[in-house]
Amino acid sequence: MDKVIICRCEEVDLEEIKETISKYQCSAREIKLRTRAGMGYCGGRTCRPALNAIVAEISGEKLRHEIPLKIQPPIRPVSLGKIGG
Amino acid sequence: MTNKNHAEVAIIGGGIVGCAIAYYVSKAGIDCMLIEKGDLASGTSSRCDGNISIVDKDPGFDSLMSLASQELTAELEKDLNLPFEYRSLGSILVCDNDAEMEVAKQWVNIQNQAGLKFKLLDRTDIRQESPYFADDIPGGLECETDSLINPYLFCYSLIDKAKQYGLKLHTRAEVKLVSKKGDFLIETTKGNFTAKKIVNAAGVWSPFIGKMLDIEIPIKPRKGHIMVGGRQKPIIMRNVMEFGYLMNKFQRERIADSKTLKHGVALVLEPTESQNFLIGSSRQFVGFDARIDYDVVQTMARRALRFFPKLDDFNMIRTYTGFRPWTEDHLPIISEVEEVPGFYIAAGHEGDGISLATITGKLIEEMITEKETTISIEPLRYDRFNKNAVTM
Ligand SMILES: Cc1cc2nc3c(=O)[nH]c(=O)nc-3n(C[C@H](O)[C@H](O)[C@H](O)COP(=O)(O)OP(=O)(O)OC[C@H]3O[C@@H](n4cnc5c(N)ncnc54)[C@H](O)[C@@H]3O)c2cc1C
Repeated sequence: MDKVIICRCEEVDLEEIKETISKYQCSAREIKLRTRAGMGYCGGRTCRPALNAIVAEISGEKLRHEIPLKIQPPIRPVSLGKIGG
Repeated sequence: MTNKNHAEVAIIGGGIVGCAIAYYVSKAGIDCMLIEKGDLASGTSSRCDGNISIVDKDPGFDSLMSLASQELTAELEKDLNLPFEYRSLGSILVCDNDAEMEVAKQWVNIQNQAGLKFKLLDRTDIRQESPYFADDIPGGLECETDSLINPYLFCYSLIDKAKQYGLKLHTRAEVKLVSKKGDFLIETTKGNFTAKKIVNAAGVWSPFIGKMLDIEIPIKPRKGHIMVGGRQKPIIMRNVMEFGYLMNKFQRERIADSKTLKHGVALVLEPTESQNFLIGSSRQFVGFDARIDYDVVQTMARRALRFFPKLDDFNMIRTYTGFRPWTEDHLPIISEVEEVPGFYIAAGHEGDGISLATITGKLIEEMITEKETTISIEPLRYDRFNKNAVTM
């Protein structure tokens, strides 16, 4: 189970996330920065709910109604040429 | 037994500046705590690039201070236990046109005379830096000692070591009130703390801390945007900026389109260790409005394409903004405040906080332990802003 990949873009497994939480007692945002989970190509759109749930379960960080891990624009990856065009 | 809620020195703010201070002060054997309202590095220090650079600094005090900081950072690479993606490969500036190239030559000469390791680059050199560069770039220059770090990992690493030296860390504790009756009393959302000395390292928010003690701190937020490009193919090994925004230091006009000038846009392209790359930059005074301004992002993309036209099909995966703690003379305030003995300010590093964090930490440690300082602290004094008004 611990070998399950949570963030596919950055290849971060459950074990690494669990270890980081217990070592640093950190928030979802800090987990992201320390492990890069959620920082890859999809911008966390795939693994974010899982990450939030793991942090909530282990550290008791409450899931708020507002989004704990923010989504930054753009909505999906877009080429530099399109943005600058 | 040390008291968890009292310390000789309390540092307010867990950005790169506060973390560097925490490291040097606790290493000196001083009982010290750090109070941060969110997580470590939850302010500007996780919303920026990671350049420790001299390439764009004025020769003189500015470049000397950066050089001192570069040397300290290289030492920390050995002393700290957690890696922070330190890459010491130098950095380059590229020119847009021949007029800039002429000024760049002068810049290299001045810097070399000051003993710094600068080198002029021609068309061929530029081509060798990256196959993605535009063919019409006339050249640029290199500073050999510049390096890159990951700023938030650096914060984590400094704190990890500082804790080994005895630092007491209080995160998610927002400072609400500060008063002084003998010791300082610091009231936070996580309870009260007391300290003999306080260091205000709250970056762009340091004026709010100052106000609690009736001290006015002339620091303003200067917003910057960053675009993150997803890893595809390696573009370049080291950081690139454009020479254009140094033109005004020479009282020469910068040639660029009106939006580029209006939003203070200048190319920065930083390769990160994750193999993504960061594209910047913009400079705006819009208060604390952190929203992405699409017009600015578009202008930045155009500017990037001017220098890297072949990146047009590279995907951008994220954009974000950060606030540089701006001061009028572009130097930070690293100083004790005469009006409130024991109250220190270490803030206002604008676009250089990553470069100058280590020297700032070292200077504060030296001021607190009353040692001779590594570099002169005269130009960094808090009262320099009032003084000018009176004596000039
Ligand atoms: C787009 C951009 C690119 C940049 N690129 C570079 C670069 O390449 N090289 C470089 O040298 N510099 C760069 N900079 C500048 C650099 O990021 C800043 O100078 C630096 O991060 C400032 O660090 P700091 O510790 O002073 O502030 P911060 O990192 O903002 O830390 C201040 C901390 O204080 C906390 N705080 C605030 N109020 C309170 C309170 N009441 N109680 C408790 N805590 C509080 C905040 O939560 C925050 O964590 C860049 C900046 C931007 C915006």
